[in-house]
Amino acid sequence: MNSRLAILVKGELHRLHKYNLTSVSVLVALIWGVFLFFLDSSLDTMLPFVLVMDATMMSIMYVGAVMFFEKSESTISTMLVTPVTNSELVLSKVLANTLHNMFASALIITVFMIIKDVSINIPLVVIAILLTTAFHTTLGVFMAYYQKDFTGMLVNVMIFSFVLFVPSVLFLLNVISGPIWEAILLINPIQAGQEIILAAFKDYEFTYKYYFSLSYLIVLGILGYKYFVLPKFQDYAVKQSGV
Amino acid sequence: MFKVEGLKFKYPKNESDVINGIDFEINKGEIFGFLGPSGAGKSTTQKIMIKILEDFRGKISYNGKDITEYKDDFYESIGVSFEMPIHFSKMTALENIEFFLKLYKKNADIETLMKRVGLWEDKDKMVGEFSKGMKIRLNIVRALLNEPEMLFLDEPTNGLDPKNAMILKDMIREFRADGGTVFITSHIMSDIDQLCDRVAFIVDGEIKEMDSPRNLKIKYGKRSMNVEYKENNETIKVEFPMDNIGKNSEFINLLQTKDIETIHSGETTLEDIFIKVTGVGLKDE
Ligand SMILES: Nc1ncnc2c1ncn2[C@@H]1O[C@H](COP(=O)(O)OP(=O)(O)OP(=O)(O)O)[C@@H](O)[C@H]1O
Ligand SMILES: [Mg+2]
Repeated sequence: MNSRLAILVKGELHRLHKYNLTSVSVLVALIWGVFLFFLDSSLDTMLPFVLVMDATMMSIMYVGAVMFFEKSESTISTMLVTPVTNSELVLSKVLANTLHNMFASALIITVFMIIKDVSINIPLVVIAILLTTAFHTTLGVFMAYYQKDFTGMLVNVMIFSFVLFVPSVLFLLNVISGPIWEAILLINPIQAGQEIILAAFKDYEFTYKYYFSLSYLIVLGILGYKYFVLPKFQDYAVKQSGV
Repeated sequence: MFKVEGLKFKYPKNESDVINGIDFEINKGEIFGFLGPSGAGKSTTQKIMIKILEDFRGKISYNGKDITEYKDDFYESIGVSFEMPIHFSKMTALENIEFFLKLYKKNADIETLMKRVGLWEDKDKMVGEFSKGMKIRLNIVRALLNEPEMLFLDEPTNGLDPKNAMILKDMIREFRADGGTVFITSHIMSDIDQLCDRVAFIVDGEIKEMDSPRNLKIKYGKRSMNVEYKENNETIKVEFPMDNIGKNSEFINLLQTKDIETIHSGETTLEDIFIKVTGVGLKDE
């Protein structure tokens, strides 16, 4: 990691803290923790679900919130006249927000490992949450380019999640079924994220689905970054500078 | 040092160009003023010169190299202040400055700079709690923190009180004395008049006039002497041509016999010239 990127990531994390987003995410983690603690019978299914929510929808929202703060202060235009490159700017956002969000997940997991004695495969859960969070944070950056305000962003995240969840629910309800549907559903990044997060819990059976989801998130994430998120950044940034 | 040739620009959303083919050159060590009414295209031109707006037509070169060939290292050697002061409001002044400072190879001494603009005492205050003038001063510190070769200042004195405006103008002059080059936009005539080596008047995306303030005054000024004197409790005004004024007997007679109140040469201010050049009169020609 070059040093300027490190400075930018540090700056982003500092700002997440200053703009109270760190407190918000700790609070959310605690609320989930308390909630799960009392719901002890279905813990095995609830914890992965919470982690999936945290790594997908929450990731999009957090980076969205950060970018709206930034928009309201037009600070991007100042960044444009420093030697920082666009890819450093976008990468630092993705990295900082991924780290930040993983910290919230880590908090939930730690609480449960200590209090509830849940057994989780740590390396697998780290990889799964890292990938899922990074993917959705990148997606969140892209979505924020096109939203006028945070409410608009919220609505779109709702619609996005709803549309993506419907097929999964239909599958669970057996409205649609069979191995072909099962494979198609993995095109949904939330589903792919869920698949690899579940793999960290006991009794998970490793099939092609795990490896497919893993590579899917990596490949789609990299391509999306390279061909959509990065190229569109300049336009977005210039618009923010009051132009 | 900075050369702009045949510059034209259209915003993507607009139908027609807002910059209609302008040419100018800024020499090294010079303070170059860009003067024009609101909406003339001053900020747009600055944004093009600092590589924020990219799809322009024409040619712009910096130190002999086309600006489109520069990468982000271009920004190591320039300092920019925008029309609106921009900072992270929930961070202190010092946190803001230190963050930006780390992004550059060259670092100025920020304590000296902040003391100069009178902000050192307030360095640990949140920028969100700063007054407008304080934010503008912090903006100047930010523009200078990489010890740039060239400064781009968009309306830098707008919103400053006379004392701080004076400090800023002194800083700009010192910057030039140390070999720096400055591009400055403004519609505050007196600033431009006091500071700039050369000015360009821009109206509707076209440069209407370009020269040193002194030459403009000579060109547009009336070569005349205006005398006011008192007679029978009334003030009377007379105008004499400047040429051969020493041999004008009527003028000399007046000086010797009347109770003179004021004598002025008919030199115009930059403000008058500005109105003349950018006003309706000139447009009709
Ligand atoms: N983002 C934009 N999209 C479309 N048109 C724009 C945009 N920004 C500026 N313009 C237009 O371009 C013209 C020049 O604007 P510019 O901001 O360069 O003026 P200016 O000389 O800096 O004025 P001021 O003294 O008010 O700052 C104006 O007619 C303005 O309406
Ligand atoms: Mg302007």
